[in-house]
Amino acid sequence: MKTMGIDIGNLLSKVVILDGDKLVASGIMDTTGNVASEIDMLVSSVLLDAGFGLEGLDARAATGGGAELLRGLDFTEDEVTCVAAAGAYLLPEINMIVHVGGQSIASILINEDGDVVNFMRNDKCASGSGRFLEVMSHAIGVGIDDIDGVVEGAEKPVSISSQCGVFAESEVITHVNDGEKPADIVAGLCDSVASIVSAQARKFTEGDKYTLTGGVARIDAVRGRITQKMNGTFYEFPHDPRLAAAVGAALLAGMEEEEE
Amino acid sequence: MSFAGIDVGSLTAQAVLIEDGRTPLLKTIGVKLLSKSIRVKPNPLDSARTVMGQLLDEHSLSWGDITYCVSTGYGRDKVQGEGLAQENVSEISCHGIGAFTIAPQVRTIIDIGGQDAKVIRVNESGDLVNFVMNDKCAAGTGRFLEVMSRTLGVSFEDLGGIALRARGKIELSSRCSIFAETEVLHYLQKGFDKADLAAGTCKSMADRVMALVRRVGWEKEVMMTGGVAKNVAVKAELERVLNLRMFVPHLDPQLMGAFGAAVLAQKAGAAL
Repeated sequence: MKTMGIDIGNLLSKVVILDGDKLVASGIMDTTGNVASEIDMLVSSVLLDAGFGLEGLDARAATGGGAELLRGLDFTEDEVTCVAAAGAYLLPEINMIVHVGGQSIASILINEDGDVVNFMRNDKCASGSGRFLEVMSHAIGVGIDDIDGVVEGAEKPVSISSQCGVFAESEVITHVNDGEKPADIVAGLCDSVASIVSAQARKFTEGDKYTLTGGVARIDAVRGRITQKMNGTFYEFPHDPRLAAAVGAALLAGMEEEEE
Repeated sequence: MSFAGIDVGSLTAQAVLIEDGRTPLLKTIGVKLLSKSIRVKPNPLDSARTVMGQLLDEHSLSWGDITYCVSTGYGRDKVQGEGLAQENVSEISCHGIGAFTIAPQVRTIIDIGGQDAKVIRVNESGDLVNFVMNDKCAAGTGRFLEVMSRTLGVSFEDLGGIALRARGKIELSSRCSIFAETEVLHYLQKGFDKADLAAGTCKSMADRVMALVRRVGWEKEVMMTGGVAKNVAVKAELERVLNLRMFVPHLDPQLMGAFGAAVLAQKAGAAL
């Protein structure tokens, strides 16, 4: 069975095609104000990679902001359920997913059946989110993909006291102007994000086998610091962690189709 | 004899001199009050020395002409420690006494600065009764308006006027300044009206301020100070919700902390 999952994230939109539970093709683009029309281009390019047309798909599902505006879907599902489905299906041993998206941090507890038991989510404040990291790294002049390379040269991480993204940005700029090494500021920034994320996740003490999803999980320096601050065992998400919600949507689309 | 107040804020630093013998004090406001405001230096001591130095120079005075000086704001203890001031007092108290000196009928002061927001309650003697402050989150502070004006491509000073002239209002769903920035960018990409977005931005700002006001309550009269008091749209929305006219002193609202410090300096100096 071939299914498509679409995730309209706050910063990035993703499309994946699964054949059963195998990832066949995927694509990522920036989310703009016109995402509802622009997503069609991404869908076409992912289909091209997969080597078949829309008619080759058995089911399509979408998640994320504005997903309900998309045409031709079998259903839409909320992001937490999709991320949980992806984590539960691909990593049957885990009981928690920590998802750090562009504009939210969520800790999701799941049971043996992969159902969501409980979750905490902060989507009111940028603190610790992908956007937070993006704004800060921009202020330092280090691209988000270069963080791992830069942080290797850190000697003494500069601690960042503000949790608010706007105030932390000023703080970071002050450090830059004071002549602190970019590597040390970036290391401090990774510490800061890891503290914010783990502070939320650690409230679920029963979540002792977990994975990390969302764009921030791609950055080794942040992922490593989060796993250090957490008590349980970390399981690596088997695909690009940014694709978690889209993969979950595609998996759910397949399950729904099978039931019918 | 001159009495001085120095207030080093997060974005600007202010110095105020009150010349003795020009009583009653009320008449000195806006007439013989000498003041200076500068953009802050990286170090509060430099800011304090520069702003007061420039004010003194402009009026052919020297540090020796200052009888008593009170410092307030960031690094107020260091400013005193360096001998630039004889005493340091919290900005909350300085704001309270400054506002009360200008208008003794004032019981509530809403002060929205560049990096924090405060609501101060004073009693009929001008003493501090209660206050609440937000300096953890940029939403509801001047920084929010600064970020949003930059996103809208208008000047911070013009934002309020543009908002008041708007035909509609696009309310923002995000409280967080960083998310609101993305939200406004998306609206602009879709071709929504800049003025309507300015109106939504000022409404959002006023909502955050009201949330803070509700935490300590308010009592008439209400004075608004700080840089955001100059934003006509935010002020109008607050007055609509509070159902009263707010008192905005003729004194540049950003000078209130330094003015209060100078008033305290005059009281202390007179007792010497």
